Amino acid sequence: MTIAILLILAAAFALIFIVLITISRSLQVSGTDLVGQIRPIDIEAFRNLIDAAENEFLRRRLPATEFRVVQRARLRAMAAYVLSAGRNAAVLVRVGQTALASSNLATVEAARQLVDNALLLRRNATFALLRIYIALAWPHEGPTAALVLHGYETLNGTAMLLGRLQNPAAPVRISSTL
Amino acid sequence: MLQAHSFLWNFLWVAPNVILLALGVLLSRRGYSREFPAFLSFAILSAAGDLAVYCADIVPFISAIIFWRVQWAGFVVESVLKFLVIGEVLSRFLSPYPSVARLGRYFVSGFGAVLILVAAVAAAFARGDSSVWLISGFHVVEQTVFIVQLGLIMSLLLFAAYFRMSWDRLSFGIVLGLGISACGHLVTWALIANANPSAQQRTWLAFFNMAIYNVCVLIWGYYLLIPSKVPRKTNSPALPNHNLDLWNRELERLLQQ
Repeated sequence: MTIAILLILAAAFALIFIVLITISRSLQVSGTDLVGQIRPIDIEAFRNLIDAAENEFLRRRLPATEFRVVQRARLRAMAAYVLSAGRNAAVLVRVGQTALASSNLATVEAARQLVDNALLLRRNATFALLRIYIALAWPHEGPTAALVLHGYETLNGTAMLLGRLQNPAAPVRISSTL
Repeated sequence: MLQAHSFLWNFLWVAPNVILLALGVLLSRRGYSREFPAFLSFAILSAAGDLAVYCADIVPFISAIIFWRVQWAGFVVESVLKFLVIGEVLSRFLSPYPSVARLGRYFVSGFGAVLILVAAVAAAFARGDSSVWLISGFHVVEQTVFIVQLGLIMSLLLFAAYFRMSWDRLSFGIVLGLGISACGHLVTWALIANANPSAQQRTWLAFFNMAIYNVCVLIWGYYLLIPSKVPRKTNSPALPNHNLDLWNRELERLLQQ
């Protein structure tokens, strides 16, 4: 009987999840404010956190116990950045998928690229987060989140390209810089 | 009314299979056989198999042993086809996303392997509701198959939800129907295989099972036959300037380093 109860509970939870997915899918079709959900992150601070040289400097300068305390704090901050990058990537997946319906071929291509880069970043962010949480238990060496940073930078480019294609009149400052 | 072989019983058993069969034929005529070969095979063969089981149930000269053998044969074919349908949907769903396609396949396959272990443990602990293996074994195998089936569908839905990947209408309709069907059937077979319900309770469970299957067939019909709303081109969420400015600022800082 215990197995029956467990299986019934599992089926009930699964059904609730399926219903929620169906409802959220129909809400997406009607359109929601996606870009408002993007939280910009400070890439310079993020780069500083994952800098191996900085890590080595702290290790040489600080006593072992103090280094572990500092390293844990740095890892927690790194986790927050990676989490934000992953969330932004998820939002951009949606943005890109919505733009795929465009009639402009260049926009569709840019949207496809954005979706691909955003999915890659979300995947890398997930693995990086796992490594960070493992490293929190033993903060001897800083885990690398370089893939996340690199992915975020690539995503910046593709998001800007899509934005420019969707709204050509908007000033895109990067063009003047280059 | 809620009696075995009542009008409602017969209707609930026959109607979804007739609709599913018609749906399969209609879709193959519309040229879906290249897009969804496994689902079309499932629609046609599973409906035909279920109708054969129905005939075996009502025809008086067919013995109980033969009925259960027909039931077994139909169930094996239907289960294999359902797993093929899940594989087909998985492949179709992941193909536009090359960056996570391999991860998705590993995730669903790995989840499937774990589910087989869980289902085997659940089967080992099942009480069995009959001294005749042909009957009790059928119920335990049904429970096992629906555990794996529901788990695979959940893993696919979870993967898509985590990565916020969007479903195409047809694949989502198929997965939705299979998922709801697996939930309802798992409840039924878990109770029958483990809780030893009375004859009356079994009849109610059979009605519940058939009602769920009717709903699923209607879901498939709705998603596969009714076209989706045409997305409004103007509704695409353009990235606003202020966000782009922020992103540009970050990128400029990087370039100036």
